[in-house]
Amino acid sequence: MKALTANRLIDGDVVFWKSGQWVEGFGDADLFDDPAAAEAAEGQAKSQATVVIDPYLIDLMESDGLWAPLSYRERIRALGPTNHPTHGKQAVGGEVIEALLHADGAARSSGRVNLIKRK
Amino acid sequence: MPTLIRRQDDDQFSLAEDSFTAVADDAPLPPGDVIVSFTRFQAEGDRLLAEGRAVGVRLEPAEEVEALAYDLPRIAVVALAFPKYRDGRAYTAAHLLRQRLGYAGEVRAVGEVLREQAGFMVRCGIDSFVPADGATPQDWAHAVHRHRHVYQRAADLRVPAYVEREGG
Amino acid sequence: MYQYDSVDQEFVADRSREFREQVARRLSGELSEDQFKALRLMNGLYLQLHAYMLRIAIPYGSLNSRQMRRLAHIGRVYDRGYGHFTTRQNLQFHWIKLRDAPDILDQLAEVDMHAIQTSGNCIRNVTSDPYAGATAEELDDPRVWSEAIRQWSSLHPEFSFLPRKFKIAITASAKDRTAAKVHDIGLMIRRGRDGQLGFEVIVGGGLGRTPYVGPTITEFLPANRLFSYLEAILRVYNRHGRRDNIYKARIKILVAALGAEEFARQVAEEWAKIGPEGDLPDTELARIRGAFAKTAFEPLPAVSAIFEAAKAADPALARFARNNLRPHKKPGYAIVEVSLKAIGETPGDATSDQMDVIADLAERYGQDDIRVTHEQNLVLPHVRLDDVPAVFAGLQAAGLASANVNLISDIIACPGLDYCALANARAIPVAQQIAQTFADPDRAEAIGELKIKISGCINACGHHHVGHIGILGVDKKGEEFYQLTLGGSGAEDAAVGKMLGPALPYDKVAGAIDTLVEVYLRERKDGERFLDTYRRTGVEPFKEAVYADAH
Repeated sequence: MKALTANRLIDGDVVFWKSGQWVEGFGDADLFDDPAAAEAAEGQAKSQATVVIDPYLIDLMESDGLWAPLSYRERIRALGPTNHPTHGKQAVGGEVIEALLHADGAARSSGRVNLIKRK
Repeated sequence: MPTLIRRQDDDQFSLAEDSFTAVADDAPLPPGDVIVSFTRFQAEGDRLLAEGRAVGVRLEPAEEVEALAYDLPRIAVVALAFPKYRDGRAYTAAHLLRQRLGYAGEVRAVGEVLREQAGFMVRCGIDSFVPADGATPQDWAHAVHRHRHVYQRAADLRVPAYVEREGG
Repeated sequence: MYQYDSVDQEFVADRSREFREQVARRLSGELSEDQFKALRLMNGLYLQLHAYMLRIAIPYGSLNSRQMRRLAHIGRVYDRGYGHFTTRQNLQFHWIKLRDAPDILDQLAEVDMHAIQTSGNCIRNVTSDPYAGATAEELDDPRVWSEAIRQWSSLHPEFSFLPRKFKIAITASAKDRTAAKVHDIGLMIRRGRDGQLGFEVIVGGGLGRTPYVGPTITEFLPANRLFSYLEAILRVYNRHGRRDNIYKARIKILVAALGAEEFARQVAEEWAKIGPEGDLPDTELARIRGAFAKTAFEPLPAVSAIFEAAKAADPALARFARNNLRPHKKPGYAIVEVSLKAIGETPGDATSDQMDVIADLAERYGQDDIRVTHEQNLVLPHVRLDDVPAVFAGLQAAGLASANVNLISDIIACPGLDYCALANARAIPVAQQIAQTFADPDRAEAIGELKIKISGCINACGHHHVGHIGILGVDKKGEEFYQLTLGGSGAEDAAVGKMLGPALPYDKVAGAIDTLVEVYLRERKDGERFLDTYRRTGVEPFKEAVYADAH
């Protein structure tokens, strides 16, 4: 499963693709299980050079029945910095944020380390 | 014909007719004035000059400008290549052409030449430009004249801040 | 504090206007992101993970209260009420919007500040001794030379597109507080036998992927020949530095490839051709020297009865005095270090409110002078001993009175994966855990000077190579791991640390530091610092203890 992300040109905010538009919450993002559809969206996104910067696809993993970005970097982008729990997208809280905060390990890892600290 | 912007003696900028044809190493030579690579100039320069044409040399960033020293009096244009915006070697080449080798002919910037570099280029002694961003002479003048003050002495002979301050 | 004249003011105003136009051209699509990126970086504007980051130049770490208040204001209005002081004595805001950046630059220009050349492949903000003008150790005021270099390097027509970034540090004291030996150029002010002022010139030091302690290429360069010599170094580098591989493009690689002797010869040859025409006239140096705000010191006794009585009455003040005060060149004054390393907080961060407090204290008690250290702390360089209790009280009320300068919880950490697009692992939470492990101030004092430096990637913004204990975050199959190095130093005894052993997972790092400290306390002899003990015993006892579990 994949999602499409970028930073918005005007303010640098992390955004996600949702049917041709950009949304701010990972929970609202389109999830692609069809690689061709994902690449088509990426191609469309790349043509929006005055809207977003460097759109790219990210890999997702399942965690407690919800999808979370696979890499640590992408989880931090979807949440905000771990040293300021009230900064960034995590500030709004809710089910998706909680799931992201508590997603265990990265799929590529052995899952030994809970990389996002519970606060 | 690509746009050529030329700096006038009064530090204004205007569009100019480019009488030169830039010729690739493997291309046949057209009649008239030409700009060739340094390699080709070394091989064919004497003959080309003997034919009575004006000859320019294109210098790549890795080529040492000093290698041109002997031929400079007969070279009409030195075209400094900026293959990438971020490659700054040609600024040093321009500076040395003007300040150390005493070259008084045309020094032209070719390649990825954007108005953002215009101020730096003029200060290093470059006086003609083939912009890659569609800039007009007005854009060029605007960019070059943007800064009312400069801190260093350079090839353009602008008065640096430390001299300006002595006057004030 | 150097006072801008109209030339300096118009220079930054022009630059700010230029950037406003460039932003407009990017937003309209006239400039591609690739073209714009080079331009915004030349103005310190990066795109990081969550937003744009604006790195504001604090030349040689020097600012006054008006400027500090403006930074606080920018933090409040355009960021989230805080900023991050960096290892280049600069300030970064992490939540900046592109649309606000031109307004911010205008606001900075109004108080004689800018973000010029805080990024890009150009000559970066010059760093210097945060105790300049206050310490008795210095041979000359390095700020004068720093400011002259700031001006000379600003929008330098020939050296703004170098193979890679270029960092210069200047120190005038035997004790090096600038990490001069791990800079592209380190300048150490020296006095010749005849009393003439000059520089020892070190070229090709650096951290990052290939750390080097730089070699000296000139033992004594007469001070008035500095600028032609810098021009010669930069020209040799601009022409011959590698441009084919970003990791081999720094001057250190060129110096290492040629050998210091051959590099020095090439520089000397170029220098001879430039001649004194490339130098700054003495009159301009004198003007710059005169443009620094005058300090007015009162004749005071060396010992302050007020201060001594306050210390005797308040152990917290006494502790602060032991750890955060440094001798001043004038009797009755002190240099006060303000730690931005409160236990559990983000190293180098200050809130806008805290910045305002520092500004108030500097104005009231500190001759309106504030410095930033490369170790991410602040300094009030000129405080009367009589006023130290009041300053301490003001700091205490703002959460700024941590008495831990140079101690184990005074940790350098880069923003790491919490903010930085280049990072492989987080640095801030590791620093926080270590600081919490050593939260007991008595224990921290008993351990003594111990410099821990943490970087979230090999680019080494956190200077991990020169930490007494260095910590480098790496990504191992998506997990954060940390490599420990021991024995580094960024001071006058500069050294690159040696790897301790295999990288440790995130949750083992603070425990490993604790183990290293226990080994040191066991092994140390009379008055040795951690670094001294390590240098005497070598890595073995430390390695054995940390990896004991693995055996």
